[in-house]
Parts: sequence; structure tokens; C-alpha cells
Amino acid sequence: MIWVTWRQHRSQAVAGLAVLAGLAVYAILLGTSMRTAFSHDDLAGCLARSQGSACPDAVGAFSNEFGSEVNQAFWAVALIVPGLIGVLAGGSLIARELEFGTWRLAWSQTVPRSRWLAVKLALVTGGLIVLGAAMTAVITWYRAPMDRLTGRLDAHIFDFEGLVLTAYILCAFGFAVLAGLLLRRSIPAMIAAFVPWLAIRLVIEFVFRPHFLAPLTTTCNATLPNQAGGCGYGLGFVPQATGHIGDLVLSANNGVVTYQPADRFWPFQFIEAGIFVALTAAALGATIWLLHRRATWAA
Amino acid sequence: MAEYDAGGSVPALRTEHLGRRYGKVWGLRDCTLEVPAGAVAALVGPNGAGKTTLLEMIIGLLEPTEGQVSVFGETSRADTAATLARVGYVAQDHPLYRDFSVADMFHLGRAMNPSWDQQLATARVDALDIPLQRKVRRLSGGQQAQVSLTMALAKRAPLLVLDEPVSSLDPIARLEFMRDVMAAAADTGADSSLTFLISSHVVSELERFCDWLIVLANGHVQLAGPADDLLAAHRLLTVPRATPDAELPGTVIHRDDSDRHSTALVRTDPVQPAVRGHAGWQADPVSFEQLVMCYLQRPPTAATTGNPAPAAARPGPTGKEVTR
Repeated sequence: MIWVTWRQHRSQAVAGLAVLAGLAVYAILLGTSMRTAFSHDDLAGCLARSQGSACPDAVGAFSNEFGSEVNQAFWAVALIVPGLIGVLAGGSLIARELEFGTWRLAWSQTVPRSRWLAVKLALVTGGLIVLGAAMTAVITWYRAPMDRLTGRLDAHIFDFEGLVLTAYILCAFGFAVLAGLLLRRSIPAMIAAFVPWLAIRLVIEFVFRPHFLAPLTTTCNATLPNQAGGCGYGLGFVPQATGHIGDLVLSANNGVVTYQPADRFWPFQFIEAGIFVALTAAALGATIWLLHRRATWAA
Repeated sequence: MAEYDAGGSVPALRTEHLGRRYGKVWGLRDCTLEVPAGAVAALVGPNGAGKTTLLEMIIGLLEPTEGQVSVFGETSRADTAATLARVGYVAQDHPLYRDFSVADMFHLGRAMNPSWDQQLATARVDALDIPLQRKVRRLSGGQQAQVSLTMALAKRAPLLVLDEPVSSLDPIARLEFMRDVMAAAADTGADSSLTFLISSHVVSELERFCDWLIVLANGHVQLAGPADDLLAAHRLLTVPRATPDAELPGTVIHRDDSDRHSTALVRTDPVQPAVRGHAGWQADPVSFEQLVMCYLQRPPTAATTGNPAPAAARPGPTGKEVTR
């Protein structure tokens, strides 16, 4: 079965490696020039001494040069990539067999279909985890200088580091496998899986994630220097109210600031990845149950 | 034709009151039949008669709603390795992975079947001049059918189920394919003989190859038994049109009325009909195809009397009729 799974998914594995290679080329080119700029202006030393407040020009120049590209633009493009990878790997896994009638061949060999499915899911899931982890490592490496300036809790960074990128891929995969069993067609299954995946992904990011843990509050100290327009962000990503890089300000009203502290990156990663892994498990569990029932359930 | 033992030994296939319901509709109901070891059985019926439903339950792809299947005495349970191992299957349109080479398909067979016979598989495609490295999508329909059959044979299962194996082939490929099936049925070496169950909605292509006949219509078995016995037990009577059914010997299965004459298929076992003494009566042996067609044209209500009991135990008016 391992050979069968490899033979049927090897072109997808090659495509996955191509995506990873393309990402790595981009990351090495941009990551290298970011590193050069970062050390050229001794941003590391300045950040260590003063959270960047002693060298506003250098921070501003670095942010201007790289900020929109590696934060906003990268996020906008890479938002859908985990979903695409997941649905492309999962949409055809069962649907292709039903679409072309090869299920009669696949499931009439001396391997019960439940075992056939278990082996395929285990191997493809394993491959996707490796791909997701490798993509995360590449992105984390190339973004490292920017992360020093911004922290990692902002959505533009959070979505591509730690655990969540891999969990997003798995969730889209699970949805697509289930949709493939229900719809019996690969392409419709991919679309039917991608749309709810993206909806859930965005709702969690914008509605639930800021409140995974109760936010902290502080009062805005208006005497701090470089105060720009009230109690929100001042220079770069250092909130005026907390004075600490990477703290994520949720709201600032009448001098009361609510925020998530930067050191909640990992708890938030575990919570969000946990949600997506649970969705994956629910979808794959339903698939296993339905496929077994298809054969053994006597109407 | 393979020799089979009609009594005593364990049948290759037995179904008892087998039924499968899809929602509220029965795809197959109360199907009881036996195929002896070594037989080449034809399963004949129109499209939608329940053939594929029956075959999927025999193979272990589908769980019966009621009744049970046993293969060589072992009760089948859907989707278990033990059941799947007992049956080789060539599905309708012989599905294969189009981007696989023939060698890849055999690799899959080896990976998914513990009793796989690689030597048999490669020798067969060699003899058929099918290159091992050729992609499935570049094979002709006949060659794809042959690769499917080869995979079913190399699985080394004692019962082989072929669902409409030739319906998508041209006439020459049909003939060649059926000849190869017969060769495989005969050439079983030291193994116990193979048993074949071959479904088709076209009768003529099975006629000369099969020694056991099962007619399925409207989800019920209409007729089942050794082909020769069934042919011997039926006669095609040509009688004057006015003759009522009750005067005909045996059980009238089907009747066609033309202007002056009626043609009736009658089941007359155990005694042959006496037509002497009836002016204008004629009794002819029936062909395989005529037999099947007449049973298929029976109204659905008659179906419950299908699959008749063994001749000796069968009550009926036949004796009285022929003594006139």
C-alpha cells in the first residue's frame, strides 16, 4: 500500500517540492538583502539598547524598504497557499477513484477499503506535515530580521510561523477528502473544501484570535516621546502604551489600552493550530466512517 | 467445458434470500442460487436487473440488506480481507489507472494481494504481446480488458467474477477475450478448477462458453441451473392460434400470437411433450437466446415463481397433459 500511495501521489509530491523550492529562492534572495540592511544600520544593537527609539531613522528606512513587501503583500499572496496545497492533495484522493470507476479495482483487492484509506491518509498527511514544517522554517528564517522589529503576534507574521501554517494545510486537506467522498468529483470537491476553509480561516483570524486569551489593559502615558496620534502605535510596532516590541494593541479608548502581550505567541499558536487540527480530525473521521459505512451499512 | 459436480461438494457460490435495498427501492430481492465449483456461469439480465448489485455483494464490495452470500462454504462479509481474497473481479469497463504502466498495475496487484502470482501475470501479457512498460491509456480497449482479466487471475482467487467484460469491446476483441477466459478456465494446472461468474446483457456472446445459466430480471432470479438441462427441459411449441394455454403441455413461460399460429415456450420437464396426435403442432428445441429472451419477457408478477424447484420435486400439470 505504501508503494501504491507513493505511485498515485508522487506527482503531487513533486509539485509540493516545487512550491517549496520557489518559496526558498524568494526567501533566500529577500532574506539575504534584509539581513544586509539590518546589520548595515546596526539595527540589532539599537533594538537591544532602546527598543528602536534611539534610531528612528534607521527603523523607518528599514520598514519603508521591506515592510509592505514582507508583511502586507506576502500575507495577501500566501494567505490562500496552504488552502490550495491542502485541497489539491485531498480533493482527488477518494473522488478520483469514484470519478473514474477505479474504486471497484482499488477496493476489490485483498485490502479492505478502510485500511486502504488509513494508509493513504497517514502517508499523505505525513507528507503535508513535512511540507508545512519546511515552509514554516523557510519563512521564519527569511523573516527573522523583520520579526525583531515587529514581534510575531501581528497577523502578517503569526499566520506563517510556528504551527498554524501546517495546521491550515491539514485542515484544507481534510475538508477536501471529505468533500471528494460526498461529491464524487475532484474539482467540485476542491472548490467545496476551499471556500469554507477560507471563511473559517478569516473568521478565526479577525474575530476569535484577538480573544483567545483575555487581553491585558493599561493606561496610556501621554508623556512618552514620539507619541503619534493618541495611544496606538508610535514608531514601527512599538505600542506607545506598553513600550514593548510585538505587543498587539486591540483598542485604545480614552487613554485605556487593551492589548495582547508579545509573549503570548506560542500559547496562541497552540490554540489556533489546535482548532484547525480538530477540524481536520473531524473531517477525516467523518470520511473514514462514511467510507466504511458505504460498504457495510445494509441500507 | 469444465466438469463440475452438481451435488455433494461445497458450491463455489451460494446465495440465500439475498437482498439489497437502496433507500426504499430494492435493487435485488430474495435471490437464492448456487453455482457449483468449476462451472462457467452466465448471469444474464437487462440493464437495471440487479446484476451489478448481486456481483458487488458476492465480491464483498457491498453488504446485503438481507440474506447472505457464501463462497466455497465461507460466509462473506463486506470489506474484509478474507472475503476479498476469495474472489477475483473484473469490473464493468475494466477500470485501470490510466497513468500507470502495465508493470505498475502488476506492482499494485502484488502490493495489495498476498497470493499474487507475478509469473502468471507477466507470462500472460507476454503471450498477448502487451508491452509491460506501456501506459494503460495507450492500450486498446481489448488490451485493457486483458490486463484487467490478468490482474483478476493473478490474484489466485478460486472464484472469478466478470461484470459485462466484453460489452465495450468490438466483436473480434469479444471473441478473443472470451476464448482467453475459457483457456484460463481449462488451464488451471494443479490447482483446483476455477469457477467463473460472467454477467452480460447480451446473451449471444455467452452462449457457447457457459455451462450454467442464471437469468435475472426486475431484481429477482427468473431461472437458474445447468445450461444443458435447462435447454433440454424447454420446448418451443408452434400450435394453432386458438389453442388455449391449458391445453399445452408443461408450464407456459411465454407465448407469441401471430395471425394463424402461436409460438409458446413451455417448460416440460421431467417428461417430453407429446405432440403426435395433435394436428398442426410442432415442438422444437430451444436455443440459449430464445430461452433467455422468453424468461426476460415474463411479467414481473411471475417472477416469484422463478428459480423453480428441482424437477423431481416439482408439482405441475405436465404429467396429465402428456398422457392425453
